[in-house]
Amino acid sequence: MLLEVNNIDVNIGAVQVLRDLSMNIDKDETVVLVGRNGAGKTSTIKSIIGLYPVKSGKITFDGKDITGLPPHVRATRTGIGYSPEDSRVFPDLTVEENIKLGIWLSKHEKMSEKDMEETIFNIFPELKRIWNRRGLYCSGGEKKMVSIARALSLRPKLLLLDEAFEGLAPVVVERFIKAVNQIKQLGISILIAESNVNIAAKVGERLYAIDRGEIIYAGDPMKIFQDQTLLNTIRGY
Amino acid sequence: MSIYIIFALNALLFASVLFLLTAGLNIIYGVMRIINLAHGNLYALGAYVTAWVLLTVGYQAFPGPLLYIVPPIIGVLVVGLGALIMEPTLLRPMYKRIEEFQLLITFGVLLILEDLFLLIFGPYPLSVREPYTFLGVSKIGDLSYPNYNFLVIALGFIVAFALWFLLYKTKFGIILRATSLDREMAAAMGVNVKSLFTVSFVIGAMIAGLAGGFIVTKDTAVLGMGIEALVLAFVVMVIGGLGSMKGAFVGALIVGALRQIGTAYFPEIELAILWLIAAVVLTIKPQGLFGR
Repeated sequence: MLLEVNNIDVNIGAVQVLRDLSMNIDKDETVVLVGRNGAGKTSTIKSIIGLYPVKSGKITFDGKDITGLPPHVRATRTGIGYSPEDSRVFPDLTVEENIKLGIWLSKHEKMSEKDMEETIFNIFPELKRIWNRRGLYCSGGEKKMVSIARALSLRPKLLLLDEAFEGLAPVVVERFIKAVNQIKQLGISILIAESNVNIAAKVGERLYAIDRGEIIYAGDPMKIFQDQTLLNTIRGY
Repeated sequence: MSIYIIFALNALLFASVLFLLTAGLNIIYGVMRIINLAHGNLYALGAYVTAWVLLTVGYQAFPGPLLYIVPPIIGVLVVGLGALIMEPTLLRPMYKRIEEFQLLITFGVLLILEDLFLLIFGPYPLSVREPYTFLGVSKIGDLSYPNYNFLVIALGFIVAFALWFLLYKTKFGIILRATSLDREMAAAMGVNVKSLFTVSFVIGAMIAGLAGGFIVTKDTAVLGMGIEALVLAFVVMVIGGLGSMKGAFVGALIVGALRQIGTAYFPEIELAILWLIAAVVLTIKPQGLFGR
């Protein structure tokens, strides 16, 4: 197993956002974490990358306990790449600078800048055109591409994508699903937090549903459509 | 005519020192989001140490150009060491607290340093004029202008270029800018934010120490010099914009020119003019000319 999250509790201030949450991701696996807004998807992702401290429970990666490791160690040494919900591209840096940050900082499986650029251009050829553009002037879709490419530049073993398809037109969603499949073929495991059940079922090999900080379903993505109560909970009806 | 050239040179001289001061403050604020009130006395520490080295060892110990390199560098290194101790011990515990705590702690350090100067260097100004006078003067029309001032002006421009190069053309600078834009995301990208904070604080402090080290042979190291410098650096920050290096450069030029005009024509209200301009900028463009 690549990632094992065992019974974690996470608090933000006085509010408990994750309760006894457990999940795992295997090598070369694409897993989706689905739930309505505020269900705890982003908190789960942020706990895995280390931005939210875990109050109790344990996170192991490749068999090693990473629960207490700071985010920069998880990113550069452990091998976890993170693309956040709102892309968070560094606005004053060019697309090139945004992406090369990961190449410069990574201490995991060093790759030449040229090879990494080639890998990224294979997945997102659109980035060639905007390579020297400042992040501030990129469109929403372009920012998402930069954000994913930036996380990839760390050469991660696991890629965390938080709401990677949010706000995208259906045709662009298809484009991003294709990119996710290409990333998977590089031997990178992927955890996608997604609020749209249909997209989640389409892209994930395995699915976790989360509500109020607790996992309420784990299993086959397609079987989720057979449980209307569960679907209603996920959709927030 | 030559008097106006002297005015312009004096404005540049003053702007150069102000830029060095504000650039350091801006690096610290830009990356760490801390307004370092102790910054003025880090500048004064550079001045005191440089003057003390020259007075204790004797300027004769530094032949030729070394007189202009070694003593200020010692001052800069002492300031850097002080900053290296100050950041993890006094500032780091304050990062997760409200900004008032950070202001209070840096103000406390400002006062502690002031008392330490009194304790270590005594109540009288430290003055070393030799490096200043050795460089002689240049004739500008009928008037003469100290060559040392050209050195300080050049220093300001050299540091401005070096900072631009560091921030925009090096990997370290790009990482520093990324962290100043979004520290959480930078951490998730692998930046060791704690270490970067320490490095930024030390760099910012050392630039202030450099300014102090070069100004001390022109002026003197005297109690209160840090507080006076800090007040003027804040005017530059308000005009140029918090955290903006371009703002520090342009703001320093504006304040340098205004102060020169004020000193020449309205000496009684020289500081009031500066604060008036700062108030106007704050009213029209609260983020400053180049602030985000």
